[in-house]
Amino acid sequence: MRGALRPGARAGLVGGAVLVYLALVGMLVKFEELRLVGSQVTRGRLLLVLPPFAASFFAVRPRVIGGRVEQPGPGVALALGAVAGALVGAVGSVGLALVEAIGVERIRPVFVAVSPALVETLTFGRGAAAGAAILVVGGAALGAAGGIWRAIRHGLRRPVEVGLLTVVTLAMLQRIVPFMLDELRLERDWLYSRATRGLTWTGAVVVLVVATAAAAYVLDRRERRALAPAAEGRPEVRGWRRTALVTIAVVLAAALPQLAGSIVSEIMGTVGVFLLLALGLNIVTGYAGMLHLGFSAFFLIGAYAVALLTGANLVTAFGLVAPRFSADLNFYLALVLVVAIGAAVGALVAAPVLRLRGDYLAIVTLAFAQIAVILATSSWLQPITGGPQGLRDVTKAPLLGLEFRSAERFYYLVLAFCVLAVFVSWRLAWSRVGRAWNAMREDEQVADAMGVPTGRYKMLGFAIGGAIGALGGALFAVKVGTVQPGSFEIIQSITVLAVVILGGLGSVPGVVLGALVLLALPGLLSQLEEFRFLIYGAVLVAIMILRPQGLIPNVRRMRELREEERTQDAWQQIFAARQEREAAEEAAEAAP
Amino acid sequence: MSRLLEVSGVVKRFGGLAALDGLELHVEEGEIVSVIGPNGAGKSTLFNVVTGLYPPDEGDVRFDGRSIVGLRPHQITKLGIARTFQTVHLFANMTVLENAMVGQHCRTRSGVFGAIVRPPSTRREEERIREVARRSLAFFGPRLAGYRQEQPAFVLSYANRRRLEIARALATEPRLILLDEPTAGMNPRETLEMRDHIVRMRDELGLTVVVIEHDMRVVKGVSDRVIACDYGRVIAQGTYEAVAHDPQVIEAYLGRRAVG
Ligand SMILES: Nc1ncnc2c1ncn2[C@@H]1O[C@H](COP(=O)(O)OP(=O)(O)OP(=O)(O)O)[C@@H](O)[C@H]1O
Ligand SMILES: [Mg+2]
Repeated sequence: MRGALRPGARAGLVGGAVLVYLALVGMLVKFEELRLVGSQVTRGRLLLVLPPFAASFFAVRPRVIGGRVEQPGPGVALALGAVAGALVGAVGSVGLALVEAIGVERIRPVFVAVSPALVETLTFGRGAAAGAAILVVGGAALGAAGGIWRAIRHGLRRPVEVGLLTVVTLAMLQRIVPFMLDELRLERDWLYSRATRGLTWTGAVVVLVVATAAAAYVLDRRERRALAPAAEGRPEVRGWRRTALVTIAVVLAAALPQLAGSIVSEIMGTVGVFLLLALGLNIVTGYAGMLHLGFSAFFLIGAYAVALLTGANLVTAFGLVAPRFSADLNFYLALVLVVAIGAAVGALVAAPVLRLRGDYLAIVTLAFAQIAVILATSSWLQPITGGPQGLRDVTKAPLLGLEFRSAERFYYLVLAFCVLAVFVSWRLAWSRVGRAWNAMREDEQVADAMGVPTGRYKMLGFAIGGAIGALGGALFAVKVGTVQPGSFEIIQSITVLAVVILGGLGSVPGVVLGALVLLALPGLLSQLEEFRFLIYGAVLVAIMILRPQGLIPNVRRMRELREEERTQDAWQQIFAARQEREAAEEAAEAAP
Repeated sequence: MSRLLEVSGVVKRFGGLAALDGLELHVEEGEIVSVIGPNGAGKSTLFNVVTGLYPPDEGDVRFDGRSIVGLRPHQITKLGIARTFQTVHLFANMTVLENAMVGQHCRTRSGVFGAIVRPPSTRREEERIREVARRSLAFFGPRLAGYRQEQPAFVLSYANRRRLEIARALATEPRLILLDEPTAGMNPRETLEMRDHIVRMRDELGLTVVVIEHDMRVVKGVSDRVIACDYGRVIAQGTYEAVAHDPQVIEAYLGRRAVG
């Protein structure tokens, strides 16, 4: 029994460490300010509830023992969960006791976030002893709940999880959704309280029920379809459904600025720029299978190229000066050139590294991004790039008397190019070119032996990825109006890579979703900005553990999993039939 | 008959070891030639040199009268030499049909523009790729037919993976096909089936076949000529009967076994 509880203890200690960490970085207190549902459920309390719940969830996960998957029964799940949750609370209590013993004032210079407000939050305003008791008992209760939760059948659990997630998301979007409802002239007081700004209890319950029911319906249908024979894969049907989905998405996206106002347009404009980058990277890394850690270089190249081609000015001590080389082209003409430049640079950079694979290639691409920034900053190129100050007065992309600097207008500009890039990516995936990349990603040497000129296809991947990335850079320059080397640091490359991996390598819908989750959500959910990279890290680690193929996996990978299940089912049926037959034969033999 | 493949004086060294040591052989058009020899004789290395995976250190390889030394593997495939691997190498996450479609790559041309715009010429070409791929899968009758074509390659049974690898090679529309132990890991019935398929490749598809094989029933059943190698050199060649009774060949097999 003691050995059996060990997973609970381990998860509990990790959960406790997470709780202490969240408290020390200031997330708990900072998050307290936002009320989610009624006046009771605040974001800080949600964050407080999460570690014990998550710890027990992990403690009770199914284990493979002797080649068989063992799911702990309800009793064990309860015990394990309670142990894990109580330990999380206990670790928190120990932290509290330490703070009490040393004194808030003496800790504060080291850990800024340790404040009376934090102690207040953790003790629920009832003093240290009572607070510690609440933490441990509450933790145990939550842990037990989490354990039981895990033991519930998947088909029941999933819809409720989706429902809860919907409630939390809507509650977090309290700055935006009520505004949209007002724009649509919909009654909203039942859903969002004017006093707390969060959801009302009625609203939360209604949303929970509706979302849960909807999720149950969709998941059930999907399950049934997956188990049906393969005839379901008729391309026309899928094509029709996809067209409908894409149309709805585009219409919604087009209506967004009207509904949600300029703050959302501003955020979504930036998301669009990064989505372009991510789509470019998806071609290099997702389709062609070459890890690229320096994709921000194309971002930089596109931005500088468009600035120089459309008559931007240098910032100098003597005021604005025209760069040594520049042109004053129409933006859309310049854009064609920028795309060509992106493609050319992509291919040129690829040429010397064609023989490198995997890690080596990744390091070279990293260096490539660094070199691009250093060149742009250098005094050698200052007459052209403006050095650290960069360029300003980038074109406003005028078209038929319209300018695209304002948040709404820019949003439409970037949306148009995103739709184009999605279309291109999707067409490429299902073509001879896409097949060649796919083969190359699977096994480069064999692809070569089967007649795919791998060198040429690597260059092609870099060129097309680079072209789309440069397009993103060009639009970024239009949005901001200035170009500075500081905007193109390594972290941009990492962010874009995170989007692609989170969404699902090689999956266009995945990349779009990844951009929304990783870039739009932190902007829309107020106050997350400060903890952005912390959250990125946590999300990526979670994805790698729970869903390594990404949120919406590439069709091929999805097929992999589904097919495996199906063959396994079929195999089990055959196996069962054979056993039955053998049993019958044995019985027949035994009988005289 | 004309000489389709001619390997002369080829040396391939790995460190101090000469895997091919002045190998001389030729293959006539329309022939089925078996290459036999003990483990480590250099048979697979021969295939790797002919298909451009390894450059030879010395010597020349001529295909249809033209030297192919120094060409990249995909260029050699395009000239008309296809191959399979001793250890099966499929594109595991692509479907069975897509695997075969990759074989058509070197016979088709549509590029990025065609992919994005999809003009009629590209659609026709895509249709043709699909057609040829289906046809090469159909070479194995019902084995790779029907719903299997939409399955990812990794769910196939071992024997079917070998068949798919051959189908993918056939989809390159080669003149010469090199099969590296096509029956390894197959059960006796599947082995006999494969023996018939090898003969059909020549009789129905008009291919020239070189096959590395350890199973002597297959060698006996398919070969117009048998070439025995050891230590990277040809030690005997001729009809199956002649080679099987050649003292040097017997010595190579037995001697090696006695040492091992
Ligand atoms: N890439 C390589 N690097 C180093 N040595 C190699 C390499 N490929 C082959 N060899 C060596 O060359 C010799 C010939 O190998 P090869 O694979 O051609 O033998 P084989 O006749 O195909 O044998 P088998 O019947 O076992 O397949 C062996 O000693 C092998 O170890
Ligand atoms: Mg071999």
